[in-house]
Amino acid sequence: MTAALQAAALSVLGRLEDVSLDLGPRELVAVVGPNGAGKSTLIQALAGLLPFEGHVQWNGQPLSEIPFQERGRRLAWVGQEALFDFAFPVRDVVAQGRFAWDDDPAGVAEALAAMDLEALADRPVTRLSGGERHRVILARALATAAPLQLWDEPVAQLDVRHALEVYRLARQLADAGGTVLVSLHDIRAAYRFDRVLVLDHGRLVGNGEPHAILTAGLIRTVFRVEATFVTSLVPELPAD
Amino acid sequence: MKGRGALPLLALLLVAAFLASLAFGELRLSPMQVLEALFGRGDELARTVVWDFRLPRTLVGLAAGTALAASGTVMQAFFRNPLADPGLLGVSSGGALGAVAVLALGPSLGLAAASLWTLPVASVVGAFAATGAVMVLAERGASTERLLLSGVALNALLGAGTSFLLTVTAGHFEVNAQILFWLMGGLENRSWEHVWMGVPVIALGCALLLPLGRGLNLLSLGEQSAQSLGVDVHRLRRKLIVLATVLTALATATGGIIGFVGLVVPHVLRLAWGPDHRRLLPAAMLGGGTFLLACDLVTRLFPIGLRLGVVTAVVGGPFFLWLLRRPR
Repeated sequence: MTAALQAAALSVLGRLEDVSLDLGPRELVAVVGPNGAGKSTLIQALAGLLPFEGHVQWNGQPLSEIPFQERGRRLAWVGQEALFDFAFPVRDVVAQGRFAWDDDPAGVAEALAAMDLEALADRPVTRLSGGERHRVILARALATAAPLQLWDEPVAQLDVRHALEVYRLARQLADAGGTVLVSLHDIRAAYRFDRVLVLDHGRLVGNGEPHAILTAGLIRTVFRVEATFVTSLVPELPAD
Repeated sequence: MKGRGALPLLALLLVAAFLASLAFGELRLSPMQVLEALFGRGDELARTVVWDFRLPRTLVGLAAGTALAASGTVMQAFFRNPLADPGLLGVSSGGALGAVAVLALGPSLGLAAASLWTLPVASVVGAFAATGAVMVLAERGASTERLLLSGVALNALLGAGTSFLLTVTAGHFEVNAQILFWLMGGLENRSWEHVWMGVPVIALGCALLLPLGRGLNLLSLGEQSAQSLGVDVHRLRRKLIVLATVLTALATATGGIIGFVGLVVPHVLRLAWGPDHRRLLPAAMLGGGTFLLACDLVTRLFPIGLRLGVVTAVVGGPFFLWLLRRPR
């Protein structure tokens, strides 16, 4: 089976070194690592948003061969920062997710609803809180209907209800055949993912099933804290 | 959708400003006389006034205002900064220095000073040099302070160059007066030559700019997110820089330095009808032409030696200060 997202010897000068990985369809994958480990860089390189060395393939196709519009249809990226300098209404920003689809509005209303933004749809994005702005860019990513979803710390600024909703949506997208890669600040949440990638100093030092990877030993070396994580402390995801 | 009636309203205002610009002046014509003269009828004096003097002046002013407002709209989205403006950033000064260099040095180099080609070409070269400098000094998303300070520095530097040429040519009264004209902006004595010098390329530039509104919307919210959504960011940026620079340069070549149009017009329209560039770009083009014609009318209705650049500055300066004080 072709990997949905593949990297071989991926390096970004000074920030990411020789990372190789394969992500399949229907996979929900977490990226963890201390601050400055290269989580955002990895996600941006995989999304083709910064220059890199090595190879990145989407569905077996080298990134350089994929035209820009096609990229917008196949991969959605949610950045860590949701800063807006112009007062577009929430609805218009979410509708930008349809740019690569020639502004066909399919799915925009659903994306607004999924991120609980219907009541804010006409409000200028400049007048939203940080958490609300993140929900807007998540909704925009959902509106793309792209099978590859790369989200960089999407829940860092969200309240617990919306954070759980983001995890639930991520699971739903993966179950529907998508590949969802999410960087996480809180490693406890990683136990709910199918797979976890651990980055340290720009290198991939762990890649596998969370319970097998996130051992006390690895957490000690990578995060330099003494901890054992009891999985029962991890919040259960709400069932549908 | 917000702003649906905006474009027809602005088009109407533009037509009104256009006709007023043909009607008012030392010889006041009635709307009927203007229309008759436009269609080649009526008395000869009115026809001469309209066709030989006011029509070229009006067309040049219309084109310059359109170009400056369009250029300002693009620069604000491009730098993701609502305070960006071709004048404040120094692009206009670059264009003016280019034009002034041709005026001052052209005769000794054997160039026909104010020919159809040399002046706009020199202006474009100067404007591109200034744009290049702005790009290096203040990368996109740079803070307002950095953007404005680099503009201050660049304007001072280019202004010094212009002043130098002014001093060098102090002995040649006519050349000297021409240079002063560039520094203050104005539409006096515009002829059909100026129309051909600026209007066709400005019209072409605006036509090429209009379809970029969609992409500009995405770019104004960040380059990486724009690219992730399917925009070829490098290509779009290149097109935008070239078009905004050429438009500014030609406005400067035909009308001199006219400040604040690119700042005030897009800003007011954005406040009124929202930031969607698919509407904002055409609205700014219509509004820019109207604004400049209105300012030019002020110089003619109050013939106390007001220059066009002075009028736009009197309107735009306080507006800019108000913007600076406004929380972003």
